[in-house]
Amino acid sequence: MRQEVLRLENVCKRFGGIVVADNISLSLHAGDVLGLIGPNGAGKSTLFNLISGLFRPDTGRIYLEGQLLTGPLHRRARAGVARTWQHMRLFRTMTVLENMLVGPREYPGESMLRSMADTGSLRRAEAAARNRAMHVLERMGLAHTAGTIVVDLPFGQQKLIGVARALMNDGRCLLLDEPMAGVEGSNYETMQRIVRDEAAAGRAVCVVEHNVSFIKDLCTEAVFMSYGRILQRGSVDDLTQSRELTELYFGAADA
Amino acid sequence: MTDPVILLQILWTGIAMSSYFVLFTVAFALTLKVEKLWNFAQAGLMGIAFYTMFWSLNAANWPVWAGISASVILTAGVTIGVEIWAIDVLRRRHSSGLIFFIFTLIFSQFVAFLLTLLFGTEPETIFPSVMSPVRIVGGIAISDWDLQAVGLTLGMLIALYLLIRFTRDGQFMLAVADNEKLAGIYGISARRVYILSGVISAVLIVAGIWLYGTRAGVTPDVPVGLILTAVIATLIGGLGRVFSAAIVAVGLALLQSFSILFISSKWQALLLYGVLFCALLLFPRGIPAWRWRRVRPVAKSAATAQAGG
Amino acid sequence: MEYLASTGVLIGIYIILATSYNLIIGYGGLNTIAHPIFFALGAYTAALLGIDTGLPAVICIAAGIGVAVVASVALAVTTLRVSGDYLLIASLGFQLGLLQAVNNLDFTGGPAGLSNIPLTLGGPARGWLYLMITAALALVVIWLAQRSMAGPFGRAVRAMRDDEVACAALGRGPFAMKVVIFAFGCGAAGLAGGMYAYYYQYISPEQFNVAQSATILTMVVLGGLGTIWGPVIGAFVLVALPQAITFLQLPSSLVGPLQGLIFTSLVIVFLFLRPQGLVGTPVAGAAP
Repeated sequence: MRQEVLRLENVCKRFGGIVVADNISLSLHAGDVLGLIGPNGAGKSTLFNLISGLFRPDTGRIYLEGQLLTGPLHRRARAGVARTWQHMRLFRTMTVLENMLVGPREYPGESMLRSMADTGSLRRAEAAARNRAMHVLERMGLAHTAGTIVVDLPFGQQKLIGVARALMNDGRCLLLDEPMAGVEGSNYETMQRIVRDEAAAGRAVCVVEHNVSFIKDLCTEAVFMSYGRILQRGSVDDLTQSRELTELYFGAADA
Repeated sequence: MTDPVILLQILWTGIAMSSYFVLFTVAFALTLKVEKLWNFAQAGLMGIAFYTMFWSLNAANWPVWAGISASVILTAGVTIGVEIWAIDVLRRRHSSGLIFFIFTLIFSQFVAFLLTLLFGTEPETIFPSVMSPVRIVGGIAISDWDLQAVGLTLGMLIALYLLIRFTRDGQFMLAVADNEKLAGIYGISARRVYILSGVISAVLIVAGIWLYGTRAGVTPDVPVGLILTAVIATLIGGLGRVFSAAIVAVGLALLQSFSILFISSKWQALLLYGVLFCALLLFPRGIPAWRWRRVRPVAKSAATAQAGG
Repeated sequence: MEYLASTGVLIGIYIILATSYNLIIGYGGLNTIAHPIFFALGAYTAALLGIDTGLPAVICIAAGIGVAVVASVALAVTTLRVSGDYLLIASLGFQLGLLQAVNNLDFTGGPAGLSNIPLTLGGPARGWLYLMITAALALVVIWLAQRSMAGPFGRAVRAMRDDEVACAALGRGPFAMKVVIFAFGCGAAGLAGGMYAYYYQYISPEQFNVAQSATILTMVVLGGLGTIWGPVIGAFVLVALPQAITFLQLPSSLVGPLQGLIFTSLVIVFLFLRPQGLVGTPVAGAAP
């Protein structure tokens, strides 16, 4: 039996009168690539925000590798929740490499004093992080962009950098928020390859995506959400062939 | 202390004194609402408005109406000039809020230094005497200045309300305040609206500094203090709520007036900053009770913005 | 020549102020304008200790730094929850409120200020001695700022400025970083205050008002937000150029306002001609 990485138990969240997560329970194992699909406003991104700690659930619990996951964003990132953002949220005044170097979970120069002292051990840690960052960039074929200011890159490459930065975290749980929106051509293939590799390396990957063929190609399973609830979990084919769900999806998308 | 006549007297004087405070606050809040601009340059405009009246009535011996007209024309002219040649340039560059802050503050300082050079640092008043005839009504002293101040302020507020509510230009102002891009799609020129709101603010500022300058001495440094009180009232009133900011301005003036019963007058200003600081910490988005009708949409949009981000 | 030394000391003090303020506003993106109040806390603490206890200047100045740091942490933990324009206004309220208190308290000398600060390092070379000490301290502050911002800490701080949520989602807690840079920057302002008090032997509340906020802010923004040398050049230019007219032998009632006019005109000209600052490069992404 593969190890369970992420478990949500009866997670609820409402904003004012609007229920954005309605009693969500979900389990994710190492090697899973779970697709989250559903119409806009179904609560897919909200679910990511609840897991990564941007929002606190009203009730319910979230476990990472059996440990209760609590606290603000940075605590959960350190526990091993790595995520990307639909709109990348790159650090726009910084280079690609600098963006990557903010990502490692262990961050020796965290304190200002330590950073000022610039000791040998700090320099070695920096060099190691740099190597790892370059390695991730090479896997994406983006090593040559390391010194570029991120906002000067084409959109598709920025999207990849968003994922690369999250990979620096090296956590067991990887949440990808619409990684394919606006990504085409070779970047599309790179993204697919990276997601497959990360799952094969034992991570539990969860993807919010509107691109159904991407989900079909990659995901072992998918979950259909609507109005903050999980309507069905199953194979991607089952979900896309369900007439009821298709109507919900495309009916809502048309409106 | 608890004599009702004394309390009523403090209440009345406080309301009368709040008049120019209200006018400055409305001018500041209107610019903030329509232009999304913390316009500290209005301190400079106050200085220009005051010294124009002071000079034309005292040095040039113009009639009162001519002095006031000159002040309105010059203040509005400078407002339009600043809008076109400075604010608009910064806006087109997508400058950060910090740059706008620096520009408007430095502009006011520039004006203050210029006025110091021209008029010195002695406190001046528009008329040589700041006394005005007083009548006693039910034991309360009511001066002509009080009546003029309350009347002028109420008149201005009503005129502004009617303008916003019932004229096309007023509706355009609301549309631009709400969403300038959307308003642009409907053919409303944001620039025209900005200039209009600037001119309205200029008129309010002239009226306010007229009241202040017929009652107390003005030096080139006074306007900065006046603008800060307007900022405080605007913040506590809730952004984008011009008339509730005006009500807060009256409330703050009354708080200061009544505080003389409890604390020495030199601590009154500290009270104001204390109120500001606490209000900011407790209600970083304005006092919630005054925006209850909008609570729902606000919560929703905040949620979706964060979720989408 | 004494005049040159005194201008040099002033430039040094402003370099410390602008460099430390740049850490807060340029690198950290924390829009407070209350920096002069920490300058004032350092100056007043050092001056009062010096006058009342006669302790050595070094101890008094160190105490000034300590008070500035404590006050800054107190302000940080209460107000760093709000951000952007609100932080700006909250810091303004903090500054004006404290200044109002200084103005009205008896032991601070009220609006007249403190003028009997003990003479330290007297003698004919006093100005040059102070110049060397101030210059050395300014260099130390620049060096520390450079070291901390070039390393991993500075990288995380800049990331926080660019996108606080994304930075936190990578494991870097923003709150602690904010408090640390705030405390460091304000401590340096306290140091500048101590030097100021001991050199000029006279301080008054009006030296720490909103105009001072605008001055320091302007040095940082015109020099180049988030650059190491920008604030240094900004401080140099904006102190030195207005000083130039003192050679014109004008009546003293004109010099003050004229210097002010020169200063504000310089600011407005630079603001429109070099919006990215004197040192900054015109990169779209580098705008604060």
